[in-house]
Amino acid sequence: MAVSRLRADGLVRSRRRVDVRRDVVGAALAIPAVALFLAFAIWPALRVFYFSLYEYSLTAPPEWVGLENFDFLLHSKEFHGVVLNSLFYVGGTYVPSVCLALLLALALRSRMPAAGAVRLLYFVPVAMSWVAVSVIWRLVLQPDGLLNQTLGLDLNWLTSSATARWGLVMMSVWKETGFFLILFLAGLTTIPDDLYEAARVDGCNAWQRFVHVTLPLLKPTTAICSIMAVIRGFQAFSAQYVMTGGGFGTEVVNLFVYKTAFENARMGRASAVAVLMFFLLLVLTLLQLRVFRRDDR
Amino acid sequence: MSRPGANPLALAGRVLVWLVVAAGGVAFAAVLLYAVLSALKPAGQVLAVPLRWFPDPFRWSNLLLPFTETAFARYYLNSTIVGISVTALNVFTCTLAGYSFAKYSYPGRNVAFVVVLATAMVPLEVIYVPLYALVFQLGWVNSFAGLIVPAGTSAFGIFLMRQAIMQVPDELLEAARLDGAGELRSLVQVVVPLVRGPIAALALFIFMTNWDSHLWPLLVGSDDAHTTLPVGLAAMQANNLGATGIPMMMAAAILALLPTLLLFLTLQKRFVQGVAMTAGIR
Repeated sequence: MAVSRLRADGLVRSRRRVDVRRDVVGAALAIPAVALFLAFAIWPALRVFYFSLYEYSLTAPPEWVGLENFDFLLHSKEFHGVVLNSLFYVGGTYVPSVCLALLLALALRSRMPAAGAVRLLYFVPVAMSWVAVSVIWRLVLQPDGLLNQTLGLDLNWLTSSATARWGLVMMSVWKETGFFLILFLAGLTTIPDDLYEAARVDGCNAWQRFVHVTLPLLKPTTAICSIMAVIRGFQAFSAQYVMTGGGFGTEVVNLFVYKTAFENARMGRASAVAVLMFFLLLVLTLLQLRVFRRDDR
Repeated sequence: MSRPGANPLALAGRVLVWLVVAAGGVAFAAVLLYAVLSALKPAGQVLAVPLRWFPDPFRWSNLLLPFTETAFARYYLNSTIVGISVTALNVFTCTLAGYSFAKYSYPGRNVAFVVVLATAMVPLEVIYVPLYALVFQLGWVNSFAGLIVPAGTSAFGIFLMRQAIMQVPDELLEAARLDGAGELRSLVQVVVPLVRGPIAALALFIFMTNWDSHLWPLLVGSDDAHTTLPVGLAAMQANNLGATGIPMMMAAAILALLPTLLLFLTLQKRFVQGVAMTAGIR
């Protein structure tokens, strides 16, 4: 969307008389930002590919190993487990979050009493930092904490492989639902009221209006939410780091990269994981841009 | 034909959804209330069975524990320094670049802009190993430079400022030039006052994101002098797993949340716009 607008803008510009001196100043204004990007985003992004082909420990010079890092990862049971943990976290957190957010958005639009207060309650966790939320939820998930006592359970949520991942999922649903709610509420405002009016005149009931008007028109928003969900899920780090340190089936990809690079000083292998993650996130982001472009038209 | 809610079945369905939503809201609120009240309880009451909601008596002095028992004040100061610096740097670099991309044409402009947008696709998580190697070579590990400079600009910010500045009519800039204003002066005196809203949204968003930042500060600011709140909180947590440490940890978590929470409560609308917009480009 941005690119096509840029081109049109450029054409109009080129027909005008060009004031060279002015444009030199104009170009110079972009230098601070572009220089920071080159040094701290693009250069490291290129280096991650380079590192992935080396054995590198920061203190010793890199040593060429070719595709060995990738070969190791693809055959490593531990890495497979890590990927499965991440997939569980992504699916477990975001399927309920996105569904709940959609339900909430619809309820809040339908003149629910105290909608403002309800919205606020769901938004507040979005504004909180992950580490502080993790500290709070450690208490909630204590054996004598809020959750066990409310539900009458007796579980060691964070110190058992059967429950730790579910504890993290619960916490993340609490933290993330509001985020998707924001996106859904934004998406709902793009649906014109006339469409509902028209559907009503045609004799559609609430359910039919939901299925035939709301859902199809919310499709781009739902797609964005799903893609964002997967992207955010694979970026998870703080919750796992604080709550379990990656134990009990909660070691996600990002925590694995951190440990590999900085606890075991295997920067090459960690970079190889990052390369794999790069392609995954790239595909997701390109999908997202596609959905948005279609949305724009 | 039928007004909304006139059909009893539709109304029943709606009320059912409302109830689910309200129940969820209560659960959401319960966690917050539990955290706040736990911060104010005497140590023995935090994990009491059966669950007791209200402290007896309210121990307001618990709120001072993080400051007296740990280097919490230092973490707070560090987070504030880093948060404000990163925010100021972003406002500076993004406004300049947004202005440059919106109002000038020069060879390479489109390429530069597309490259900037493309970097939005590369999350920190993917590049932090080589980024750390770079910062290590620069000698910036355990320094404010390492915490601040790499976060000094953002694709989201440049995109936002470019979109905002494109709305400023060229005629206004021409008029300023006719009055003899240089390029920078017209930016400061004409453009900036007109895009104060987007700048505020950008500042709010960058500050809140930075306040939450954990992984990068853990790598480059782990010595005492440069520990930020998330890193400090995580370390405190690891050292205070016993029941006596819990009220202090809750107090620390609540205190750490306060700045962004207050910002959010006062500037809700801008924050919500910011979230909706970042989803649009990241």
